[in-house]
Amino acid sequence: MVRLRPDAWLSRKSVLVTGGLRRLAVAAFCATFTATVALAADPAAETAADTDASFKQIVRPILAANCFGCHADGSSSGGIAFDELETAGKLLDNHDVWHKVLKNVRSGIMPPPDDATLSAEDRGKLVDWIKRQAFRLDPAKPDPGQVTLRRLNRTEYRNTVRDLIGVDYKVTEQFPPDDTGHGFDNIADVLTISPMLLEKYMAAADSVVREAVPLVSRAPAETVINGSAFASPGVPARPRGKSNALTLSYYEPANVEHRVTIPQAGTYKIVLNVMAEGRYAERAFDYNRVEARFGIDGVEVLQKDYGWTGKQEYPYTFEKKWSAGEHLLSLDVKPITDLPARPGEMKLSLVSVQLVGPLETEHWTKPKNHERYFGKADVPTDPAARRDLAGKILTNFANRAFRRPIDSGTTDRLTALAESVYTLPTQTFEAGVAHAMTAILASPRFLFLQEAIHPQDAAEPFPRIDEFSLASRLSYFLWSTKPDEELTRLAAAGELRKNLKAQVDRMLKDWRANAFFENFPGQWLQARDVEQVQIERRRVMDRQQLVKFLIQSDSDYNALRTAMKRETVDYFAHIVKENRSLVELIDSNYTFLNERLARHYEIEGVTGDQMRRVELPANSPRGGVLTMGTVLMVTSNPTRTSPVKRGLFLLENVLGSPPPPPPPDIPSLETVKKSMADKQPTLRQTLEQHRADPSCMSCHTRMDPPGLALENFNALGVWRDNEGAQPIDPTGQLITGEKFQDIRELKKILARDHRPEFYRCITEKLLTYAIGRGVEHYDVETVDQIVEALERDDGKFMTLLTRIVESAPFQRRRGDTQPAPGTPLAQAQQPYHQTP
Amino acid sequence: MSQKHLSESESQMRQANLSRRRFLRGVGACIALPAMESFWPTGALAAETSAGALATTATGAPLRTAFVYFPNGAIPAAWWPSGQGRDFALNETMRSLETVKNNIQVISGLEHRTAIGGTDGGGDHARANGTFLTGVRLKKSATDLQAGPSIDQVMAQRIGHLTRLPSLELSCDYYRKSSGCDANYSCAYQYNISWKNATTPMAAEFNPRLAFERLFGTGSHGERAENYKRRKAQERSILDFVMADARAMNSRAGARDRDKLDQYLTGVRDIEKRIEKAEQFGAVADPDYATPNGVPVSYTQYVQLMYDMLALAFQTDSTRVASLLLAHDGSNLSFDEIGVTEGHHDISHHQNKPDLIKKVQKIETFYAEQFSRFLNNLNELKDPDGYSVLHNSQIVYGSGNADGNRHTHENLPMLLAGGGGGTLNAGRYVQNSATPASNLFVSMAQQAGLSDLTRFGDSTGALKNI
Repeated sequence: MVRLRPDAWLSRKSVLVTGGLRRLAVAAFCATFTATVALAADPAAETAADTDASFKQIVRPILAANCFGCHADGSSSGGIAFDELETAGKLLDNHDVWHKVLKNVRSGIMPPPDDATLSAEDRGKLVDWIKRQAFRLDPAKPDPGQVTLRRLNRTEYRNTVRDLIGVDYKVTEQFPPDDTGHGFDNIADVLTISPMLLEKYMAAADSVVREAVPLVSRAPAETVINGSAFASPGVPARPRGKSNALTLSYYEPANVEHRVTIPQAGTYKIVLNVMAEGRYAERAFDYNRVEARFGIDGVEVLQKDYGWTGKQEYPYTFEKKWSAGEHLLSLDVKPITDLPARPGEMKLSLVSVQLVGPLETEHWTKPKNHERYFGKADVPTDPAARRDLAGKILTNFANRAFRRPIDSGTTDRLTALAESVYTLPTQTFEAGVAHAMTAILASPRFLFLQEAIHPQDAAEPFPRIDEFSLASRLSYFLWSTKPDEELTRLAAAGELRKNLKAQVDRMLKDWRANAFFENFPGQWLQARDVEQVQIERRRVMDRQQLVKFLIQSDSDYNALRTAMKRETVDYFAHIVKENRSLVELIDSNYTFLNERLARHYEIEGVTGDQMRRVELPANSPRGGVLTMGTVLMVTSNPTRTSPVKRGLFLLENVLGSPPPPPPPDIPSLETVKKSMADKQPTLRQTLEQHRADPSCMSCHTRMDPPGLALENFNALGVWRDNEGAQPIDPTGQLITGEKFQDIRELKKILARDHRPEFYRCITEKLLTYAIGRGVEHYDVETVDQIVEALERDDGKFMTLLTRIVESAPFQRRRGDTQPAPGTPLAQAQQPYHQTP
Repeated sequence: MSQKHLSESESQMRQANLSRRRFLRGVGACIALPAMESFWPTGALAAETSAGALATTATGAPLRTAFVYFPNGAIPAAWWPSGQGRDFALNETMRSLETVKNNIQVISGLEHRTAIGGTDGGGDHARANGTFLTGVRLKKSATDLQAGPSIDQVMAQRIGHLTRLPSLELSCDYYRKSSGCDANYSCAYQYNISWKNATTPMAAEFNPRLAFERLFGTGSHGERAENYKRRKAQERSILDFVMADARAMNSRAGARDRDKLDQYLTGVRDIEKRIEKAEQFGAVADPDYATPNGVPVSYTQYVQLMYDMLALAFQTDSTRVASLLLAHDGSNLSFDEIGVTEGHHDISHHQNKPDLIKKVQKIETFYAEQFSRFLNNLNELKDPDGYSVLHNSQIVYGSGNADGNRHTHENLPMLLAGGGGGTLNAGRYVQNSATPASNLFVSMAQQAGLSDLTRFGDSTGALKNI
């Protein structure tokens, strides 16, 4: 590549500008620039002309000396040619270009280390100019940006419905998956509503209300006996684990029973719920069958047999006249095939037995939940009293559902809606109220996070959001659900901002914060994916190893992956709750393990299923997220490791400087391997060969070394010294120059020398997750301030969290007069730059 | 004791065993669908006469249009037939389509130039998927969606009023990874082929049970129509309430927020139309087919079930436009059931290694076999005009990636199945010089009665020889 001397470029340019004009411009610039930069003065005095002048004076010489070799005079590496953009008048307003320059210069990617060196002073000047001039950011009043009206995602919908009405709605079965953006599933711009989704919201509202709200005043009493209450005769029943069902096998006979005492004689409906479930394993079909007999008071009422089926529930209903007193329910299960081949895992579960009765109307009682929705008193008959009661119930429900108080007009509309149903001859009062509740759950005011600005800030360019909006931002950030009563009460009193710190602390201690501990690292570190990622363990390990690590069976393998996910979640939760330094996410001497995961990591002395904090042995390669099973597995291919994917993961999620995507038609590693047919090359050697191509080199010299350092872990995250017969060579050098012997040393280097990049990276990720939009150029100032605070504070987690919650993007919105992002400067109104 | 519960469970059980056996037997000409004549709601016929020739064949039968997407392209050497015109022989991948050879046209030369990287750089999978039915250049952005309306939605806009559902979007791809998608394109591009407009993807139904219930109502055979009616009646007054809420919010919203509320309002209006139709069309069809349980464990069963849903929708004339995304482009599914344990995407970059090519081909053959089973089913289903549903359909089967190894978007593997009600010249291998795939879509729209639609996406005209 030919590199022109910078001055050659300048002299060519200078002929385009007449001497007189040029001198004028420079003079004008000197006056303003000295004032603005040296004193960091009010940028109100700056204008587009200043930007232009300061660019010519300060920035262009720096670019000319360091960048034009590849980004001007006909070269446009990475699609950037500064001179062409300038000639076209597109340079100064091109926020995207400057944002890239800022990121690349800061992370030391540009200029390439062996090409040119940008002095710290020049880098500072450049960064400062980009922030103050190109982006026009005011450190005193950062631009909050704009969050688009955001709908609840599946997780938030589920949790909100749970907290509002106590129903666990199966969102992952019912709703289509949410589209993601910037790696998170709560990004407003991509959370769309298709006509089908709206249909589903309507159906969900109906189903949720039907499940929770009784539609009649009196009904036969209902009791549910969980399967776990059944046991073999003479053996006390004990609930097993989380499930309320009693799981029986297709392969073992069993006889279980339960004695129920009923106080009132009468006719009872008895509903038996069993579930048959077969799982594939070893790619073979399981032909076994099982027979079940159900008895009531010693009389057999059902005989059924089951073969292979997916998860399938079978309800059977019986009716019996019962006397008061004790009655016996029994279930007999017996294999009816005796096939030696049992490749699957076939289970028959006794889910529950539901008793409804007595069915005779004189024994009916108030149904479950009636008091919760309709109060202690009986429903009145007087029309006015009914209307009053409906209005009260619905206002209360809507206030909570919409997360802010409704006006009287809405109350009236809701009451009218309820009345239109319950005044029909066939309908109950309860059905009318339930109908209006369905409307509330289908309303956009429930489905979207509506925001309003603080009444006192109406005239501000960057007004604060009101306290109800703030309560929702906090609760959806830290709990993935609606605000609770305390947040709402504080917001109503205008006291939430005053108590922000205390509330954040309280929220993190609440069980609902588990949503944050799971959803943020689950997506940032892709820990969520470990339970689904397809790794062919039988191809990665031989039988001996599978036995050693106890992952021959599917259930053991699944339990291992669940433990891996828990490790990441618990580790992150620990950092949060104990206010540890973020640096421990990169390197530490502890992690969270149970026996199964400890075996996988070959760490002694951990027994039992419970996850707990474990101090790692000296020189252990574990500790920090990079060497967790989650990360190592989700960055692997189904049959082998991928140093490239692992390196990319590190650049993207730790250092925050992802390379551009690869070009198509890449010569593959296997092809490269072929070209080296004379020897058996290692993965490292093939990668080196691949890197020799200059178009691949610039990115792969960044990705491959850290990825190769992780080669000591196989695709399942197990430590290895060799791959096949070849010893693994984990040594390498980062693009920034540091050499390392192995992953242990690499982690130390990252933790010591790359803190600022990591702080910036995690700040951007957490900010994105907190506000539901991507980090844009106008957020640079906000992020910089947080990073500086972290540097001063050893990277304490609470510093990060508090700063984000207090930041302009979290606390404020753009006023209505703000230009949309990306509006060229010339057209944009400059709210802080207006001079009378 | 309730007999009904018992018999329902038994029939579900039989169903499960039956489909299980079917799976074990592999692909055969088995009919999963109720063996009965198609039933057309009387309302549809009335509407059809008033609307002229929209989505209607010469005999007055419904003309159905569907688009089926398979991921990661096809090994060209095994895909393209030999010979030409009527005198052609199917190649390895498509061998299973031999039984319906006279009902398909293999069309070469179709391309999506809008999927080629150019200055947008990497991201061929996102583009392959997102441009497939839109034919427009996608805005490369993680959040700022800009695609186009897809051809199925353009058609639904015009012919959707003829049926209970204006269109049907299905998918056998429900699991989403965390983290970003292909090369900083929003995941919305990579997981949706149907787009209502530039900013609203039509998220597809992935759950066979819900697809069924959406078509025919909840409950078991015999009680569904009543349940369907009840739901529709209830919805009406709720719609009035939420519409007022949305309008009130809209009046206070900024431009971008309004986009979101527009999506909501469009959905409300769609449901309103469906309620009106429910009255117009009378009782909903209630096929004697057990409601599916949900997503089956076996991918083969999953795909077959979704094809069944599509066939049922066509058979009952519940919709005349549909799309089915078998898996998103770039899908890395592995196929234990056919002995391919590697990820589909991983090995689609086969670097010309024969063993890998063989495996990729195995997956492509699997997909073709399932499509063949679907076509055979449609061929067995008779419309009241005496022709098969397949005869009265036009169905595209294709991928937005031509050669998955190199990410090319020229000469896409595409075929057009069905007789278009007798207007399509099926049973041929049609070779074209480079032609926008959008031209085929223009022709199909015109076939469906959108005679004034002369341009779509990057089309340069209609594809004549089909």
